[in-house]
Amino acid sequence: MPASQQEKIARRGENVSDQEVCELALYAGHILLESGAELFRVEDTIRRIHAAYGMESDNAFILSNGIFLTAGSTREGLFARVEHIPISSSHLDRVAAVNQLSREISEGKHTVAEARTLLDQIQHSPEKKNLFRILASGIGSGAFCILFGGTIPDALAALIVGALLYVIILYPLRRPMSKIVLNLLCGGFTAGCAVLLVSLGLGENLDAVIGGSIVPLVPGLAFTTGIRDIGNQDYISGSVRMLDALLVIFSVALGVGVTISIIHQLSGGLRG
Amino acid sequence: MAEILDLVWECAMALVGTIAFALLFSVPRQYYLWCGLIGGAGWAAYRLLSPFWGRTAAIFCAAALVIFLSRLRAVRERCPVTIFMVAGLFPLVPGAGIYWTVYELVMDNPAAASQRGTEALTDAIAIVLGIIIVFELPQKWFRVLARIGHRSGGSP
Repeated sequence: MPASQQEKIARRGENVSDQEVCELALYAGHILLESGAELFRVEDTIRRIHAAYGMESDNAFILSNGIFLTAGSTREGLFARVEHIPISSSHLDRVAAVNQLSREISEGKHTVAEARTLLDQIQHSPEKKNLFRILASGIGSGAFCILFGGTIPDALAALIVGALLYVIILYPLRRPMSKIVLNLLCGGFTAGCAVLLVSLGLGENLDAVIGGSIVPLVPGLAFTTGIRDIGNQDYISGSVRMLDALLVIFSVALGVGVTISIIHQLSGGLRG
Repeated sequence: MAEILDLVWECAMALVGTIAFALLFSVPRQYYLWCGLIGGAGWAAYRLLSPFWGRTAAIFCAAALVIFLSRLRAVRERCPVTIFMVAGLFPLVPGAGIYWTVYELVMDNPAAASQRGTEALTDAIAIVLGIIIVFELPQKWFRVLARIGHRSGGSP
């Protein structure tokens, strides 16, 4: 439905060109994709924003790490833009916030400039404190250790290993490095700590302790989002995400397996 | 009796663990409790069904239940469904199974490795099917269900 000139100005604010609308849509898409949203949500958001601000023709081609966008209206010519978006960490709070904002934009509550400021705020929203993340990793590991058949001492051991694991992820290993190497190291570290604690007498079932303490490394978001993308016929990005998840899982498993077998060989036997 | 207590204790741990991982995925704070409840419900379904139907079918049903509850909650809260489902699926994901597979391979036990590997693979396939099938249910049903729950004074 072609919007009249007045209507457009009322919704967008004064002197806003089509190009700025496109940039806004692209910005929203960028945050979503970076934070781990599914592809159809990114597409849907871009379309909603365009429709709300009176863009008539738009086409967005989205991959898991890039957006290709063209759009235009009767008043101005076509606008095209390609943006590369590297796979990054999971920020479901940002996905929720952009989702809410795009609803409000559809209802006509924000001009383009206002929406842009709000997106800026979402993009720079504070991360969870490192202390909380370390505690959460420990508590989660301990709780899952029970589910894998561990006893309470096992859970305590898993709690310590899980917390230590996040300490090394957040501090010494926080620099750009190959994902494979990073996860190999994390898996090896987990297995080493678990064996150490069990041989010191905290915990009995090495199996449950390691099982619990590697859960923080399981790439749950990449896996579930990948499945949903494949379910929606977005095969390219779905398979990229699944590959990412599998790579992480296998590197962790390899790290754990190799470490345990080395210890096994050195000590000539292993309790538990 | 002891079995029931065990089950309750495990579900409580699933709840706590799910909330902890929700925090790691930066889920907004107001949804923590629901993430935990959904994770606990998934684990309860798995534990209750696995003696009768075997583990693979139980994992399928548990994953389906998690997705169903997540969609219901997402419609009610008007927020992305990913928020509830990612953490809720965590207790069911065969992360440990995959690491045992590789461990047995490294230790040169191909028979044990293939057994562990098959288990992990069937678990993963069960979860995938659970996710895809429940996502095929029309969104309308969830809107209606959410409205019914609202009217009969269900939880806010």
